[in-house]
Amino acid sequence: MTPNLGRRSFILGSAAFGALALTSCATSGTTASTSSGATTSAGEGGSSGATSGASSEASSGATSGAKPDASGALTVQSNQSDPQSQKGMKALIAGFVATAAGTASLNTVAGEQFRTQLPTYLTSQTPPDVLTWLAGKVAGDYANKGLLLDVSQVWSTPTMAEYPASVKALSTGRDGKQIFIPQYYYWVAIYYRPSKFREWGVSVPKTWTELKTVAAAIQAKGVAPIGIGLSDTPWLASAWFDYLNIRVNGAQFHRDVLLGKASFADPKVGAAMDRWKEILPYFDKRAKGLAFQEAQTQLFQGRTGMFLAGSWFAGGAPKSLGDDLDFFQFPIIDPAIPVGEEGPTDGFFASARTTRPALTKKFLEYVATAPAQEAYLSASGSASLPTNPQAKVAETAANKKGRALLAAAKDVTQFFNRDGGDELQPTADTALVKFMDNPNDLQKILADWQTAAQKVRQG
Amino acid sequence: MVLASVQRRQRSAGLPPVVLVLVLVPFVVEAVGVFWPAIQGVFLSLTRWDGIGQPQNVGVDNFAKMSSDPIFRQAFKNTAIWLVLFGGLSVIVGLALALLLNAKRRGVTIYRALIFMPVVFSLVVTALVWRVLYSPDGLFNQVLSSVGLTGWQRIWLGDPTTVLYALVIAALWQGTGYIMVLFLAGLKAADPELMEASKVDGANRFQALLYVTLPQLRGVIGVIISVVVINALRAFDIVWALTQGGPYHSSELLSTYMFSTAFQGRQLGYASAIAVVIFVLALAFIIFYLVRVLKEEM
Repeated sequence: MTPNLGRRSFILGSAAFGALALTSCATSGTTASTSSGATTSAGEGGSSGATSGASSEASSGATSGAKPDASGALTVQSNQSDPQSQKGMKALIAGFVATAAGTASLNTVAGEQFRTQLPTYLTSQTPPDVLTWLAGKVAGDYANKGLLLDVSQVWSTPTMAEYPASVKALSTGRDGKQIFIPQYYYWVAIYYRPSKFREWGVSVPKTWTELKTVAAAIQAKGVAPIGIGLSDTPWLASAWFDYLNIRVNGAQFHRDVLLGKASFADPKVGAAMDRWKEILPYFDKRAKGLAFQEAQTQLFQGRTGMFLAGSWFAGGAPKSLGDDLDFFQFPIIDPAIPVGEEGPTDGFFASARTTRPALTKKFLEYVATAPAQEAYLSASGSASLPTNPQAKVAETAANKKGRALLAAAKDVTQFFNRDGGDELQPTADTALVKFMDNPNDLQKILADWQTAAQKVRQG
Repeated sequence: MVLASVQRRQRSAGLPPVVLVLVLVPFVVEAVGVFWPAIQGVFLSLTRWDGIGQPQNVGVDNFAKMSSDPIFRQAFKNTAIWLVLFGGLSVIVGLALALLLNAKRRGVTIYRALIFMPVVFSLVVTALVWRVLYSPDGLFNQVLSSVGLTGWQRIWLGDPTTVLYALVIAALWQGTGYIMVLFLAGLKAADPELMEASKVDGANRFQALLYVTLPQLRGVIGVIISVVVINALRAFDIVWALTQGGPYHSSELLSTYMFSTAFQGRQLGYASAIAVVIFVLALAFIIFYLVRVLKEEM
């Protein structure tokens, strides 16, 4: 349901087989693979309690946790199940083990299963110590239920002092304590093929009017201007909703709507959706019959012109495409509105019930360091950007552009489900896909959406 | 006195420890693995629970909520359509195929095997096949355009007016083979002499089917109806794999709605209430049928 999880499951072979993931839950990709580094250090006794006793941080660890750590390796439960990301996670774990702070083992679970099982992981009597997850309300909700370990101690280390205040705010729970350690973030933008744009005689649009002109020109060539795949990834429509609402009403109002402080039936939301109506005729008519991967291929083959997606979109591009895939900022609609962008952030949190709080904090401190993020990003070949300002990653043109895009933003949102909560996502899928089918029922659709959202919030 | 003690001895002799173990062990397994979770589900249906905190008792609120929930109504309607279409068609088509393939002709086993094959296919394969067939540029739309019926082309799985029927067809493709095999087994047990006698008496094929074959299949039909009703009510996998109940709940069944309510919406109390409704429906159908059958036999 998140762009991220989504991307992963598609790379693996598409969420079309969600039910497969359900039925084969227990087995899908749960490889308890201890990295080779961990094996070597197991010789040290593998008792993290013993190791932490020797280090300086141990004292601070001991002050916060009443009991000493349980022995044994730290378990890291990961939803990064595609082969590339797994490489990254393994490199990260190996790097941690190499610091001799303790041992850790990696347990990878398929994205969709991870998402549905997360509450179980967190409430179990013997929870995994550290888990991969997304920043935003989608993490904060668990903190509000008291399920997450307070990691403000990690945030007070020199490593994390350099993190931007905005990232810290994003990682902070309702009670002012940090509960999340960010690892990387990425951008959301409109992808296109420059060679096709030249062929069609159009250039990158900067304003809403230009976007409509470009779309009309592409349509005149007999190509569907805007691609999207809704059959197994209806949440892709939320990217359009997010951006339209941010561009028309600003990021703060957008967040207010997602958090229930403003209504989906608010006329301002209606105004944003009216913009969508203007561009709706340019959407690929086959979208509802296309899975994400198919829709992605349509763009790579030049059968659609533009595609609004996160940086993971480029991950599926065939090598033959080379540099012929670029992206541009979602066009400005109202210049008076401060520019907001979506910059989803991924990272880690820890279970409040962990039996190894000291080791957990050491691990989280490690993943926040520049070398750890460099190791992860280079091993996974990801285009994402490290959250540690000191981390150096191989700069590509796309990286630079994405970084600049987010750096220039006056406000950064995460994504619909990350800002509004995972439970809210299905209400958006229903409302937005219905809208795309019946744009004239907008008022009723928005009113129904508000009702559905309220129901979800009440539980 | 003597008589009583003899009787007691006989009774205890009638229940050797092995039998006791053979009865009790499965009962305990069943109780722990099936009855207890089922009872728990009923309790959960009376609560509001997000799967994390403590369940909150809300009485029958969840059931009251259903009447005002448009998605539940849609799912209920769809399940009814599914039950009638999938149930009815799989019995009719299964019987027709069984009658056709019961004859001793050359190559008949090949046909039987071919029709049974989808039953053996894994769900992944089935979903993949149908996803490709139904895709906007898939076989169905290509055939329609090649015969000049472009106006009939649809986004089969994306159009709220066609999606449910498209899914029923896929489910039939997968499920009919099994029903056919059950009917074939029933036909094998039918007495050929009765058929011959009816021929001698001058019954035509239709009369023979209606008055000779079908009455002999009564037992098998009972099994098949139970199987079909239960299958229809718990139909989940093919729908979830192809549409997840979408677009905008137009192919939602009670089972898929229960799942998404529980694991996407995190409303485990409400989801349990939906599960209770499914259970009651299945039970009602089966009991209704069993009562009728028993009445006829008595």
